[in-house]
Amino acid sequence: MVPGPEVPRCSICTDPAVLFQRGNGRHLCGTHAISDICDRVSATIREEEMIVPGDRVAVALSGGKDSTALLMILNRLLPSLKGVSLVAITIDEGIAGYRDETVRSAGNLVSSLGVEHISLSFPDLFGNTLDQFLKGREKEACTVCGILRKKALITGSERAGATKLATGHNLDDEAQSVLMNIFRGDFSRLVRNSGADSSGRFIPRIKPLKGISEKEIATFLLLNNAWTDLPECPYSGYALRREVRSMLSGLEYRHPGTMQHLMESKKKIEKYCASTYTREPIRRCRVCGDPSSGELCQLCQLRSSLVR
Amino acid sequence: MKLILPDRSVRVLDISPSTLEAILLSLGINPLEVIASRNGILVTEDTVIGLDDEIRLLRIAHGG
Repeated sequence: MVPGPEVPRCSICTDPAVLFQRGNGRHLCGTHAISDICDRVSATIREEEMIVPGDRVAVALSGGKDSTALLMILNRLLPSLKGVSLVAITIDEGIAGYRDETVRSAGNLVSSLGVEHISLSFPDLFGNTLDQFLKGREKEACTVCGILRKKALITGSERAGATKLATGHNLDDEAQSVLMNIFRGDFSRLVRNSGADSSGRFIPRIKPLKGISEKEIATFLLLNNAWTDLPECPYSGYALRREVRSMLSGLEYRHPGTMQHLMESKKKIEKYCASTYTREPIRRCRVCGDPSSGELCQLCQLRSSLVR
Repeated sequence: MKLILPDRSVRVLDISPSTLEAILLSLGINPLEVIASRNGILVTEDTVIGLDDEIRLLRIAHGG
């Protein structure tokens, strides 16, 4: 169908625009939106040396939109990443009415891209589903799931022989996390950089989509016929993140660039704190031996309270 | 114009041509939280929407 005369045009080629970047006032057509997003991800990877030649990158693939876009983009950038290989890791937490669909979606994606795939589940690793673990403690869903999922992803990455673990966190996620850490008074998390030198103690995590907005990711998927209208996590209503997301999204709409500015502020705080803030030394958990900031790692602290 | 909301419910709006952004705001929807297609083609929020158009909205912000 031919678009009407009132369609805004691409700032580069004058084709009909499908994406408006409010921060810089630029309109992009489908072709230029895709190349702009891939170029910016590539630049983030290069500037922050997230991936180096020879890396084996484990991609945390839930099957949701962010991880789907991440795997597609990294697979597309692969020819420019010398000697780099990809392996997708999918974790089935056991969330009825939610995870089955995304796991299926993840399986379809790796098949179509021909990417190696490792699947793990909470029952296999921890003895029960997340739904069972959360009975009576639903408000802790994101904390419990976060700790277990992190361990599951590390286990998957180790089994795959990965040297990096890539997650699909986007600009919106990252900006929300900055605000949430401030609201919680969690200074340690605020200045922590998960991609920093781990000195071989754990697989460094990278976030190649951290400069790409949620809307750009959705646009990328729609343009590549990879959009799937998946259900929402039933536990997300309990999360502080939902309120922060709504607030931040409103601010970003009224004041374009808010999220980017928030990330720049975090970077400056990190820099100023580097010389003055003493981080907790990384030790080994006395129960499982995993890297930990305390005597017991978060997983071992959690384990005793989990319903088997 | 016919508007298909993210929950797939349909609303018919009798409006004079206006931007998608103005329509979304009048419905209390933040334009950053949805993606819109007009007659099956992706459009930006500053696109002017006519009476005969069919707009479909997809909600992009998901938890989980």
